[in-house]
Amino acid sequence: MTEAYLPILVMMVVAGGFAAIALGVSALLGPRRPNPAKDTPYESGIVPLGDARRRFPVQFYVIAVLFILFDVEVILMYPWAVAARQLGLFGLIEMAIFVVILLVGFIYAWKNDAFKWQ
Amino acid sequence: MAQTNPIIEKLRARFGNAIQAVDEFRGETTFTLAPKDVVPVAGFLRDDPELHFDHLEDVTSVDRSRYPGLENAPRFAVVYQFISTRSGERIRLKAPVPGDNPVVPTITGLWPGANWPEREIYDLMGIKFEGHPDLRRILLPHNWPNHPLRKEMPRGGEPVPFSMTWEDEEFRSFGTQIIEPKAVQTVPPKQADTNRHMILNMGPQHPSTHGVLRVIVELDGERVVAAYPDIGYLHSGFEKQAESIRYKDFIIYTDRSDYVSSMCTNLGYSLAVEKLMGVEIPPRAQVIRVIMAELQRLASHLLWLGTSVMDAAGVSHALLMYCFREREQILDILELVSGARLTTSYIRPGGLWHDVPPSFVERVQDVLRTFPKRIAEYERMVTDNPVWKRRTMGIGKLTQAQAQAMCCTGPMLRATGLALDYRKLRPYSGYENYDFKVPTATEGDLYARYLCRVEEMKQSLRIIDQALKNLPDGPVWTADRKMALPPRQELDTSMEAVIHHFKLNTEGFTPPKGEIFDCVENPRGQMGFYIVSDGTAHPYRLHMRTPSFVNLQSTDLMARGGFIADLVLVIGSIDIVLGDVDR
Amino acid sequence: MDWINLILIPAIKSVVLVVVLLTGFAYLTWFERKLIGRFQQRIGPNRAWKFGLGHPIADALKMIFKEEIVPSYTDKVLFVLGPALAIAPALLIFAVIPVGPTLNLFGKEIPLVVADVNIGVLWVLAVAGLGTYGIVLGGWASNNKYSLLGALRTSSQMLSYELPMGILLIAVLLVYGTLNLNQIVTPLTPIPWYLRVWILLAFPFYFITMLAETGRKPFDFPETENELVAGFQTEYGSIKFALYYMTEYLHILGASGLAVTLFFGGWRGPFVDQFPILGLFYFAAKVLAMVFLFIWASASVPRPRYDQLLRFCWTFLFPISLVYMAVTAVLVVVM
Repeated sequence: MTEAYLPILVMMVVAGGFAAIALGVSALLGPRRPNPAKDTPYESGIVPLGDARRRFPVQFYVIAVLFILFDVEVILMYPWAVAARQLGLFGLIEMAIFVVILLVGFIYAWKNDAFKWQ
Repeated sequence: MAQTNPIIEKLRARFGNAIQAVDEFRGETTFTLAPKDVVPVAGFLRDDPELHFDHLEDVTSVDRSRYPGLENAPRFAVVYQFISTRSGERIRLKAPVPGDNPVVPTITGLWPGANWPEREIYDLMGIKFEGHPDLRRILLPHNWPNHPLRKEMPRGGEPVPFSMTWEDEEFRSFGTQIIEPKAVQTVPPKQADTNRHMILNMGPQHPSTHGVLRVIVELDGERVVAAYPDIGYLHSGFEKQAESIRYKDFIIYTDRSDYVSSMCTNLGYSLAVEKLMGVEIPPRAQVIRVIMAELQRLASHLLWLGTSVMDAAGVSHALLMYCFREREQILDILELVSGARLTTSYIRPGGLWHDVPPSFVERVQDVLRTFPKRIAEYERMVTDNPVWKRRTMGIGKLTQAQAQAMCCTGPMLRATGLALDYRKLRPYSGYENYDFKVPTATEGDLYARYLCRVEEMKQSLRIIDQALKNLPDGPVWTADRKMALPPRQELDTSMEAVIHHFKLNTEGFTPPKGEIFDCVENPRGQMGFYIVSDGTAHPYRLHMRTPSFVNLQSTDLMARGGFIADLVLVIGSIDIVLGDVDR
Repeated sequence: MDWINLILIPAIKSVVLVVVLLTGFAYLTWFERKLIGRFQQRIGPNRAWKFGLGHPIADALKMIFKEEIVPSYTDKVLFVLGPALAIAPALLIFAVIPVGPTLNLFGKEIPLVVADVNIGVLWVLAVAGLGTYGIVLGGWASNNKYSLLGALRTSSQMLSYELPMGILLIAVLLVYGTLNLNQIVTPLTPIPWYLRVWILLAFPFYFITMLAETGRKPFDFPETENELVAGFQTEYGSIKFALYYMTEYLHILGASGLAVTLFFGGWRGPFVDQFPILGLFYFAAKVLAMVFLFIWASASVPRPRYDQLLRFCWTFLFPISLVYMAVTAVLVVVM
């Protein structure tokens, strides 16, 4: 069974190799003419004020947390989806209960304006 | 004669001694006041229900130190233009200021929109405004050593305080000096909070600032906390240039200020000079002027529509090129009549450069035939598009009171419900003879502005249609010998004609002493020219009141609290042309 | 099992696939420019060779020979790693997508898929998700405000749209009963016609999630040139920029390939049984049609605002895909 994955490993090597070669070739072939102007971050032609890496709004974080919450649950559904026919009504009801629990969390988040950009 | 004017009566009764002088020239009334009286008088003019001078058209200044006959008067004068949006009555207040330490109380308390014009005066003329919320240089770098519109400043040759070579140590600090957040003060005095918020520069080199506009944005994540437009990157001193060239030569500068609607600006300047000269323009020239101005309005709105949708959709959206296809048709006509597509210089003081070629009528009829279909096509693509509606409805809102306080004009103001259109309010070039509507909307948001402009395009087509049907025959240059060259055959017989011909061509025409202010409705709003003549062939002082400049200062008001994406659309909806802003 | 079957043939297939994908990418850019040109009443690229077919090659050469700049203010390791981390997974998406039926070459049965694994759909999801890392890392490493905002937007957008996409996929998988993409194309037990029609109903929604996941206009928030100049790739040039660019197009190809496989029968078409090689052409034609949809959308729809995009996902797409999945489950299990 595992040997079915061997081609993927081969493909990984090829893909990784391509990325490495591309970067390497360009590094070898491209000219190098350093200049202080090329060494300033682009900010519409103005020297930027302050570092770009700073605290960013919590909204992005909320989205990420919500994603983790729901995505892990969604992943649980994949095996069920494949075996739904065999599991029959029992699996369906079980999954319905699961989804309802998920929905409660979803509605809670919705009511708390998690999807509204502050 | 002027004593019968009810406005003068009323002001005299209310303010008595405050009014130092009342002048009339070419039907314009000027009140001279002490600087301290300007604010109360302006407030009275605005709030008195009968007078109702509710729109501050322009604030500018004159350095009178070289003006014949005024050598001993106070050196500067700050000039305010007011108009009543109800009656179209116009009034000018003039406050003389002494040359040493000139200080004038600010009028921003009454009209916050006087903010930038006053900063411009401070920048270029060096007059300080007491109580101004944000008195900084606006067009020139903050470390500029002089005030260039002062008469002792020569044109050109002044030392430039920075160099742009990489080796120069000053260059490295140049950018940081400019964006130092402490230098950026907000209109309600609140400093940019650099600790909590990100300061992001949009522009001067940015895809969606429509030119070299720089907007310093204070960001809280995706939210715009405040937006500070920073202009002057394209400033080229048109007003200073004007003082050393002849009246008729300035026309090329009007092409280059609002370079996507040069015909309209040409027209505005020509009308102002003609008013100063007091000449009549033959009817054929007037009708052609209207056609050209309306064609240019169409072209300008098309460019706006295309780029504005591009702001919301990216360059791959098809509408931009659709608009360019139609604009091309108009530019071809402009090229046909003037030889240039952008910098036309076709409408000139005294008439038109040349009469239109024979195929002109047919070409314009082509435009009239194809356009209604095309505009309907754009509307199908955009007007009811749910994504576009969500992007524009309720975004960048200005109430009518805000828009008036910020001195906005054009579609920006009309989208708030006030039908201020100079073609109706003070008709020029025979606009009173045409049947057209001034489209308005009430919401004052981006969508309302969009609807106004699209409707304006349709109205422009109506005007062109009517004008084309009633195109009279005749000359296209004034017959008034003050501006017109004597005809060729006269040169053979009359010595006087030869001298006149020679004088007009070498020296140029000379208007009488006086000052005038005249406005036209540009696609972007009110385009005004304030010209002071000292009786020579050069303007003594020429000021351009450009719509983009005044409208742009409401950016912060509209963008505050929105998203970066909204800011981009807000800038687009003002429809700025940077040449028009910076001049 | 000998090494020929295990290593050599997959290696050859991988190399061929990578070369085809890269050429495909190059001519996809040409296809897009040409199409957008047509949508905009322009001619599009037409300078190099006939119909401008030389443009992609010229672009590639230019990118390779450009100066490479790794600015000093960046996090250099991540800055270089970013594009590599983006491109490699993008190439891997196609490893499990069957591009044609089994061919008989040199006396060997060669299935036209690099890896015939039984978790195909999961593999695509996982690997496509990995590409986000490349973008986020690159944007973060750039130490540029536009890049940072672009990277943040990317992460939230990709995460959000992965949910409805995943749920819609579950609905489709319920119908097929397998994760193996080969078996989805050629099911062991025939799928009833009403279910085939039913899954087509999911395609419009799935297409929206595809647009968002590939970061294409009108959902190109990683870049949004009107707001963020070039978004996460503002600081990138030369080949590193090209790698990001490639990633975007490979994601389009991958997403199209997956959608074709799931909704439109993959490589199947008339006469494939007689002439298996036809399968390749059907697959290519279907993918191209899908790509056309992508480009069409970009030429005709304005971009929503970022928060509207996310709200649309969470308050419309997510619930509706859940409902869709529930109905599918009932259909599959009960009927």
